[in-house]
Amino acid sequence: MNCQQAIIYISGRLDRELTPEQERELDLHLQSCPVCSKEYQEMLKIKEVTTDMRFTDLPDRFWASYWNGIYNRLERGIGWMLLSVGAIVLLAFGAWELLNNFFLDETVSFVLRLGVGAGLLGVITSLVSVLRERLFARKHERYEEVER
Amino acid sequence: MDRKMETTDNTLAAECRTGNAMKFRVLVERYKKPAYFFALGMVGNPDDAYDLSQEAFVKAYRSLDRFDENLSFKSWLFTILSNLCKNALRSASVRKKYIASDKTLEEAAAPSETNPEVSYIAKETKKMVWDALAELDNEAKEIIILKHFQDMSYQEIAEVLDIPLGSVMSRLHYARQKLKKRLEGMQR
Repeated sequence: MNCQQAIIYISGRLDRELTPEQERELDLHLQSCPVCSKEYQEMLKIKEVTTDMRFTDLPDRFWASYWNGIYNRLERGIGWMLLSVGAIVLLAFGAWELLNNFFLDETVSFVLRLGVGAGLLGVITSLVSVLRERLFARKHERYEEVER
Repeated sequence: MDRKMETTDNTLAAECRTGNAMKFRVLVERYKKPAYFFALGMVGNPDDAYDLSQEAFVKAYRSLDRFDENLSFKSWLFTILSNLCKNALRSASVRKKYIASDKTLEEAAAPSETNPEVSYIAKETKKMVWDALAELDNEAKEIIILKHFQDMSYQEIAEVLDIPLGSVMSRLHYARQKLKKRLEGMQR
């Protein structure tokens, strides 16, 4: 066994995850290698200081309302999904009606149709632009690496 | 985790998939605390930890169709939660809260000594370890929390992180080395 393998086996020993054969190999190496032996002692200390560490429990009222929080989220998720489906259906219907009864209606003045069409395109373009900018800003925060 | 518990988890998950959604509550009751404490260790503040752990259950419920029954439910849940925590840590607001909340973490560490002097030293040591843990990269922090605070076996960790069993030992070793270096740096 070389030192590189030994230092990895040290973690396995600390966590009692080595096979008896691996334990024997590690023992043999530690007896003959002061560097790995020192590493083992240091890792043992790290294991000791972290072993005791536990979080204290939250007050019972947090746990009592935990399931309700999940249930509400699931319920809201269904609500949002239905709302989205409804909005898409209504928007599609509105667009279809607008196309048939306004833009393709030759009784309506061409200038009016052109004006409304350009205005609608402008609104859609602005909306897409704002959304894209927000999305970019969320992914790349300008000052995220600045230490305060 | 014993085999019997694992089978029960997967049976509950299967029952949820067949429409018995209330069985999911049993899974939530079983894993809400481990999930919360894992998230707390990762993001370092109780509010985000509470929120992220709940979000993980919601995601798990919505993705039950994709749950591989050959894995344990717990490992699968922790994979989802771990990804959520790492995504949250990419956001500057969560990172800032971790830095600002070391007091919360200090208070969260349970003192086990009754002698005031010993208790003080133990508390200081714990605080130092918390600070060192907070400074670790996400990969190192994650594996140390899974082993030391969730007490998972190497097999369970391999499932959560989706890495070979052999890599768990080496990754854990390098994570502990990083923790050791941080602690040495603080003691100077």
